[in-house]
Amino acid sequence: MSAAFDQITQADDGVALSSTGEARDFFALLKPRVMFLVIVTALGGMVAAPGAVNPVIGFAALLAISVGAGASGCLNMWWDADIDAVMARTAGRPIPAGRILPSEALAFGLTLSVGSVLVLGLVANLLSAAMLAFTIFFYAVVYSMWLKRATPQNIVIGGAAGAFPPMIGEAVVTGDFGLTSIVLFAIIFLWTPPHFWALALVKSGDYARAGIPMLPNVAGPAATRRQIVAYTLVLAPVAVLPALMGFGGLIYLIVSVVTGLAMIGLSLRVLRVTEGEPANKAAYALFGFSILYLFLLFAVLLAENGLGLMWALPKVLG
Amino acid sequence: MSPAPQDKKQPPAPFSPEDMARRNRRSVALALVLGGLVLFFFIVTLAKTGPAILNRPL
Repeated sequence: MSAAFDQITQADDGVALSSTGEARDFFALLKPRVMFLVIVTALGGMVAAPGAVNPVIGFAALLAISVGAGASGCLNMWWDADIDAVMARTAGRPIPAGRILPSEALAFGLTLSVGSVLVLGLVANLLSAAMLAFTIFFYAVVYSMWLKRATPQNIVIGGAAGAFPPMIGEAVVTGDFGLTSIVLFAIIFLWTPPHFWALALVKSGDYARAGIPMLPNVAGPAATRRQIVAYTLVLAPVAVLPALMGFGGLIYLIVSVVTGLAMIGLSLRVLRVTEGEPANKAAYALFGFSILYLFLLFAVLLAENGLGLMWALPKVLG
Repeated sequence: MSPAPQDKKQPPAPFSPEDMARRNRRSVALALVLGGLVLFFFIVTLAKTGPAILNRPL
């Protein structure tokens, strides 16, 4: 930590007092980009669910879910501050940069965790609140504290935490969850490995310095590239399922097939191009497009189910 | 007047004006969030109880 940070936050006896972090630093602790994706996917689960919810209650529930997701991100940053400090990508985060004290981040994360679960339980129902609590626990404890530093399958299993929001969304609407949100869960779950491993291929030096056993560091880049292609080959057809099950329409069918083929094409390029800067560019291209891919799938589901743009297809499955 | 004791510990270094400005902005943001929460709970309560809240004997 910097000398300036010590001066601001420590008394003569070295006891930390308080930071001068601003509201935007606390907001950054919530991982806003992840929160945005959680809002889109949870809303996708809500609109695709068989039922309806009062718009005010739906909005309040969505707010609670997104704050809960932000709280788990905050607890993750609190726990991982030591490894964030040695990775170039994360060294500028509020805790390693010295703008927020670890104790402040912990208090902030715990307060928002408890608050978001209580609010969701009050405005929606107990099942959705319990699922949000489990999601926060899974991300902060199971993934951050245990899996991340223990196994190269960390983001595969940990990906479940990111995949729960559509199920919570459906639970808000119906008080239950069924095949609809299980399929949406599967899409995000299968999307996570190729998304993160594409980044890990480029940032393997960072992860090695931090001692994180990401797949490229443990099994090697070649095995990682094969796994990326394997997961993408399963993901692309699974992402078409909503169109075959009746909660995705014609636009969803077209978008999921075209973007799914693009994901497969980009993953095959990652497999083929293995040396130097072109290899990094191929991995970055897959990483960037994967974000757009997931966003597009859920945005189309939202438009079709929420805005009445559905050109219904015959139900083949489910 | 007696001189100040030499061994008295100095208080922690005070925040600079820039630090204080940052802390003030943080306090304002916190106040706005709390105000927003009050409004949030009020609106959600209305939505949860519904129009039937007015349908009662006076």
